[in-house]
Amino acid sequence: MGGQPLYLEPRLEPRLRSLLGAPALLHTLTDALGSPLNMVVPDQLADNLQQFRSVYGTHHLSGQVYFAHKANRSSALLRRLAATDAGVDVASLGELQHALGAGLTPERITATGPKNPEFLWLAARTSVTVSLDTRGELEQLATLVRKHALPRVRILLRLSGFEASGVRVLSRRSRFGTAVRESAPLLEAVERHADVADLVGVAYHLDTTSLAEKATALEGCLRVLEECRSRGLRPRAVDIGGGFGVNYLAHGGQWERYTTELTEAVLGTRPPLTYAGHGYGLRNEAGTLRGTLGLYPAHRPVAGARYLDELLSHPAASLGGRPLAALLLEHLYDLHTEPGRALLDQCGLTLTKVLEVRGQESGGPLLVRLAAKADDVALEEHGVLMDPVVVPRDPAGAGADVGVGTGPDAGAGPVAVHLFGSLCLESDLITRRTVFLPRRPEPGDLLAFANTAGYCMDFHATRAQHQPSARKVAAWQEGDTWRWCLDDQYWPTTPVGGAQ
Amino acid sequence: MRYDSITDAIGNTPLVRIDPAVHGLRNIDLYAKLELLNPFGSVKDRAAWNMARPHLSAAAEGAGQVVELSSGNTAKALAVLAGIHGLTFKSVTNRMRIPEIKDLLLLLGAEIEELPGQSECLDPTATDDPLTLFHRTLSEPDSTYLHTDQYFNPRNTEAHFTGTGPEIVKDLDGRAPDWFIACVGTAGSSTGVARALREHDPAVRVAGLVAAKSDFIPGIRTIDEAHEVGLFDPGTYDTIESVSADEAIEGMLTLNRRCGILAGPTGGAAYFGAVRQLRAFDEELADGEPAERQSAVFIVCDRVESYLSYVRQRRPDLFGRPRRRNSPADLSDAELRTAPAIGVADAQAWIATGGPLVVDLRSSYAYAALHIDGSVNIVDELFEELLHGGLPFSRNRPVLLACPVGEKSARYAALLTRMGHPDVRSLTGGIIAWRDAGAPLVRD
Repeated sequence: MGGQPLYLEPRLEPRLRSLLGAPALLHTLTDALGSPLNMVVPDQLADNLQQFRSVYGTHHLSGQVYFAHKANRSSALLRRLAATDAGVDVASLGELQHALGAGLTPERITATGPKNPEFLWLAARTSVTVSLDTRGELEQLATLVRKHALPRVRILLRLSGFEASGVRVLSRRSRFGTAVRESAPLLEAVERHADVADLVGVAYHLDTTSLAEKATALEGCLRVLEECRSRGLRPRAVDIGGGFGVNYLAHGGQWERYTTELTEAVLGTRPPLTYAGHGYGLRNEAGTLRGTLGLYPAHRPVAGARYLDELLSHPAASLGGRPLAALLLEHLYDLHTEPGRALLDQCGLTLTKVLEVRGQESGGPLLVRLAAKADDVALEEHGVLMDPVVVPRDPAGAGADVGVGTGPDAGAGPVAVHLFGSLCLESDLITRRTVFLPRRPEPGDLLAFANTAGYCMDFHATRAQHQPSARKVAAWQEGDTWRWCLDDQYWPTTPVGGAQ
Repeated sequence: MRYDSITDAIGNTPLVRIDPAVHGLRNIDLYAKLELLNPFGSVKDRAAWNMARPHLSAAAEGAGQVVELSSGNTAKALAVLAGIHGLTFKSVTNRMRIPEIKDLLLLLGAEIEELPGQSECLDPTATDDPLTLFHRTLSEPDSTYLHTDQYFNPRNTEAHFTGTGPEIVKDLDGRAPDWFIACVGTAGSSTGVARALREHDPAVRVAGLVAAKSDFIPGIRTIDEAHEVGLFDPGTYDTIESVSADEAIEGMLTLNRRCGILAGPTGGAAYFGAVRQLRAFDEELADGEPAERQSAVFIVCDRVESYLSYVRQRRPDLFGRPRRRNSPADLSDAELRTAPAIGVADAQAWIATGGPLVVDLRSSYAYAALHIDGSVNIVDELFEELLHGGLPFSRNRPVLLACPVGEKSARYAALLTRMGHPDVRSLTGGIIAWRDAGAPLVRD
């Protein structure tokens, strides 16, 4: 195997750890409902929301936390959310219908993203707030409201192309939103349509991990809001989108060691760490490393609510250096956020059954085939490198502790494996990297991929080759016992005890 | 010393012996090569000048721009050199995390472009990383850029091979040191000096220092980042060790306070790494027969002044200031609980009849946007400064303090009361409560 195993152990908070500590339940469920199987843990979503709320509290800010629906299509999660005071941001007609049906009332819904006429009509008809990308979209909405005699609609203006003073911050170009320097004609249009549309405020969503870029955007929004006020409009909110990140891994040291070894594997100074020498964006040019590591920063000490806290504490360089939160508060603006992945941190896992474990004639990693397709466990698709947890079929053959194989069989001890999916395609690799497991898995064992609820569960899932996509169950704790039901059977009235 | 040009002052920096009482090595003389005394403040002056010199006059004729991927010292030197020759300079970077350096570069007339952060939602179809795009721009046919390319340009290494290295030998009376310890940034100084010293004496041992992966030390790369540098060759170094940011700052403080060398954290890392590296070896020397004294040299790359915010963030304890009187931090919980306050409705009546001075403690931008009619704006930070000197109002004038939610104003109401003001009150719930109650806010 070449040196020590390079583990990337998932971070498991008490709920997921407890669920993985119930192997009998996990095996019973996959036996009955098939592999792959998605499990969601709705109560965790409510806890995560509280963490965001407490950051709002620290900074004395009011406003709404909107769950970004597209991160997961679960009904259970959405209905659990409806039982809190949070909102949801929806990006399609289907998501809007789903949110309304789950009990999220219109004042708790924001419609964003590319919109077709049906989506716009239902949004306006039900009086949800609409986040508009362009002046054209505003004209379209205004026409719709007048033509169909709909109620006045609340709107947000999504902005992009923010400019920093002093230092030019290059941001990835976004196809969404109106460039700040073109905001004047947009605001004129808002004034023109004042009879049918109320301006709630402005919004941005930047796809970046950089605090500085987001801070620049927020400062830019404050300036546009000031322009709105000087025109006599009465905006009262800034929607700063999401992208606060998730910390997937338990140990920073493992991540650092792994990425260093990956670098060395690409440079050829150690054996390969991936199937067919894939470099995750890195390449070797005459002994020098080129390219960019195309991986999610899987160990992130500052993620989720803590990231929001840091952003809000960031000084606004162009507005006197006071923290952004203080400026929002002093200007009497509400803060809206749209975390998707971060609100789903620790909210679910994906179970897959081991079908085959095969050694290679040439040695090297074991070939492990799972009853799942790569798109059912889309961790790789999002560049998230994280080990699955082995849940043995035969508990006597393994230690009782999660992820620690201490069994007496000949296969005990760490192994390197390549994980393949069940599609008849060379490219159906669950992971492109060599995965190290604490013990050799056997057919019938489960490999549990933790923390897949945010984007990695059903965002990419298909029914290719007539293979089933994963079914989904919701699970909750009653005392020491885990209970479950099918995802669409879950309502906040279903569980008794627990958080209810 | 008389020079015709400031560039003539580059190089020939002093080699200063560190007092053995400070480093504690008994058999090794440790010397610091004071690159901080270069005219633009760092070791990078040499490389920048050597890389740019051959091309500057041609570039000046074509009205070109000097560009470099640099987060600090190279950019500083190039900005000055470009300016002297009538050119502009642009630094492209995603590593410039030191605000003072950013400001200094802007002051020197540099343009700074920051590369975008990593994508939060990975796009597997994205093919162009920002650096590839940068290089593509440079190689466009009508490009007038002068790209010094410090990470790949052999003239970077050459500046140290012909300058820094031989200077060290000359100052050690024609002998190469037994040890050379250098931080790895562009690898230019470590590679060039190592080559010069080894040409003199192949037995010279070279230690490279990199930053610990989870840490950030300005000017030093982590081992992974070092692999991205074209000039980096692992074969140059007998050992490569990592140094943490805390250790770099410790080393820096020793140089600053005990040696009178105003080094920045990079020089601190070099000193710390050098002493750590040499200590074990020094013990061995001490155990054996009385041996000939050995010598070691490390490089002090630049100065401390630019890194104050970096140090403050990591070691706030170093900036402890004496407590000042009349500070809101001195208030007891009881004083805060009993701070005089007034609700929105009563405050409106009071303003109408009692004529209190209404002080809005929010920032000037927020105040300008919307405020209570007739109020004055004294931003809280400024207000606190005023109070250190005593009451800023007459005791005869009642005062109503307002902030966003009534928390800060309560602190100041309690403090003013303690300072002897008889009639000061905090607006309960602040300007937000005022707005929510439908009370009027104006813009002037």
